[in-house]
Amino acid sequence: MHGIRVEGLEKRFGARLAVSGLTFEVKPGEVFGLLGPNGAGKTTTVRMLTGLLEPSAGRASVCGVELPLRDDGVTLRRKVGLLTEQPGLYDRLTARENLEFFIRLNEVDHASAWALARGLLERFGLGGREDEPVGGFSKGMRQKLAIVRALVHSPEVVFLDEPTSGLDPQSGRVVRDAIAELAREGRTMVLCSHNLPEVERLCSRVAVVKSTLRTVASLTELRREGLALDVLVEGDAARWAPALEALPFRVVAQAEGSRLRVLLDSEAQAPDVIACVVTAGARVTAAHRAARPLEEAYLELVREEADAS
Amino acid sequence: MSFSVARALAIFRKDVLELRKNRGLVWSMLTLPLVIVVTPLGVVWAYVRNPTDSGVKALALYYDLSVDLSNAARFLVDKVLADWFTIYLVMPVFVPILISSHAVAGEKEKRTLEPLLASPVTPLELVVGKSLASLVPSVAVCLLAFSLLCVGVDVVAWPLAHELVLPNRMWAFGVLVIAPLFAFFGNGVAVLISARVGDSRLAQQLSGLMVLPLVGLAAGQFAGWLKAGLGYYALIGALVLLLDVAIVVVARRLFDRERLMSRWG
Repeated sequence: MHGIRVEGLEKRFGARLAVSGLTFEVKPGEVFGLLGPNGAGKTTTVRMLTGLLEPSAGRASVCGVELPLRDDGVTLRRKVGLLTEQPGLYDRLTARENLEFFIRLNEVDHASAWALARGLLERFGLGGREDEPVGGFSKGMRQKLAIVRALVHSPEVVFLDEPTSGLDPQSGRVVRDAIAELAREGRTMVLCSHNLPEVERLCSRVAVVKSTLRTVASLTELRREGLALDVLVEGDAARWAPALEALPFRVVAQAEGSRLRVLLDSEAQAPDVIACVVTAGARVTAAHRAARPLEEAYLELVREEADAS
Repeated sequence: MSFSVARALAIFRKDVLELRKNRGLVWSMLTLPLVIVVTPLGVVWAYVRNPTDSGVKALALYYDLSVDLSNAARFLVDKVLADWFTIYLVMPVFVPILISSHAVAGEKEKRTLEPLLASPVTPLELVVGKSLASLVPSVAVCLLAFSLLCVGVDVVAWPLAHELVLPNRMWAFGVLVIAPLFAFFGNGVAVLISARVGDSRLAQQLSGLMVLPLVGLAAGQFAGWLKAGLGYYALIGALVLLLDVAIVVVARRLFDRERLMSRWG
C-alpha cells in the first residue's frame, strides 16, 4: 500500500503565492492532520494532491501516482476520495441517485459499491432515507452523505476537509467514530480541520501550514516543542508573573487562580523559573511539568510573529 | 487523453434526471415551442379564412409584384412558412441555452463542481455528457414542435391547399440539418459563457443574446428585404457550422480541470 510523499510542493495563482515549501510524508494507514487558519493553503494543498490543481513547483506521490500528473489523472482520482468543504450534493436527486452517479463515474462494480454505501448509510443513521431527495436533508445528514460519497469507490486515500463542520455534537461523534473505524481498517486519511480536539483524537501526526509549512510532528512532539511548567503558589498567581521578566530568557506566563503556567523553550529553564518566583517572594506549594494543550502549540506556530521569521 | 463513454453517459443520465425533476425549467422549455407552433397557425388560418380578401392580395403584391393574384393566399401561406423557419430556429438555439446554463453554471452555484472534478471524469467527458443532456432534449423538443406544426398547418391549410403543405423540402432540410447545427451552437455558447461567468442566470441572459441576429433576419424577411428559401437557409447553416467548429476549438482550450477549478472552485 502507498501513502503520500510531498517534496517542496508550491502553488501560485498568477503572482500570488498560495502555498510553498510543503514537505511531508503520510504513511499508509495513517490519519494525518493538516492544520492551519483560514486561507493558509490547506484546501489548495488538498486540491494539488487530488490532481485538481497542478503544482507550480515541487513534486508529490499519492497512492503511487506521481504529481505533477503525466496523464489525465484518472488513475489518481480512482484511488482517492475527497470530502469537500461544502457537501456539494444534487438537491433534486435522492441520496441513492447521488451515490449511484458517483459509483458510475468511478466505474466500480455497482453491486459491491452499493453494498458498501448501504452499510455506511446505516452506520451514519441514514438507512431507509436513500430514496428521499437530498434537498430535504439537514446539514448533518448532507455532510454524512457526502462522506459516504467520498468512500463509495473504496479509495486508498481519503481527504476530509472539515468533516464535522456544522454537525451537532451527536452527529459529529458518529462521524469521528466512523473516521476512527476507517483508520483502524488501514485506510490512509488526511484530515483538514480547525477543530483541534478532533485532530487530537483522530490524528497521529499533523502538518501545520500557513502559506508555508510550519512544522510536521506527532501530537506528542508538538506539545513538547515548548514545554509547560505549572507552578502552584499560595494566593493569586498573577501577582508573580511580572517577576519572570527578570529572567535572562523569554517565557510566556499565564496565571489562573493559584496556578502559574509558564511555557518554556527547554526543560533546563525550569529550575531558574522556580527560583525566580521564590526569590520574588512567592510561597511555592508544588511545581510540575504540564501537558501543553495542542491549541497553544498550534496558535504559537501560526501567530503573526512566526510569519515575520 | 482517455475517454470513457460510460462516464460521459453517467453525466448525461444525471443531468437528464435533474432536468426531469426541475419542473420550472421543463415548463419554460416548453413555452417557446408552443408559441412557435401556435403563432403561424393563426397567420395561416387568417389567409385561409378569407383568401380573396383584397388585403391578402395587396400583401401578396407587396412581396412579389408578379404574383398570381388568384393564388395570393397560397402564396402568402408558403411565404409565411418559409419566413417562419427563421423564428423556428430560435428554438434550437434557446432551449439548449436554458438547459446548459443550468447544467454547467449550476454546478458552481450548487458547489457540486469540486466533488465532480475530483472524480475520474475528464473535462472532455464532462462537456460531452453535459452537451448531450442539453442537445438530446432540445432536438427532441424541436422535432416534436415541428411535428405539431406540420399537423396543425396541414389541417388549417387543407381547405385552401387540398394537399400537404408541410413538411416540404426546405423545412425537412432545415429541421434535420440546420436546427441541430443551431442547437450545437446554442449549447456551445451557453457552455462557454457558463464556464466564464459561472452564474446560471447571467449565463442564460448573455447566451440569450445569440437569438438577436435571428430576430433581425426574420424582421428583414417580413419587411420583404430578404427572401427566405432553401439556398438562404443552407448559407446560414454553413455559417453556423463554421461557428460550431470555432466553439469546439475554444472549448478544448477552455475546459481543463485547473481552469475550471480556479474559476469555479
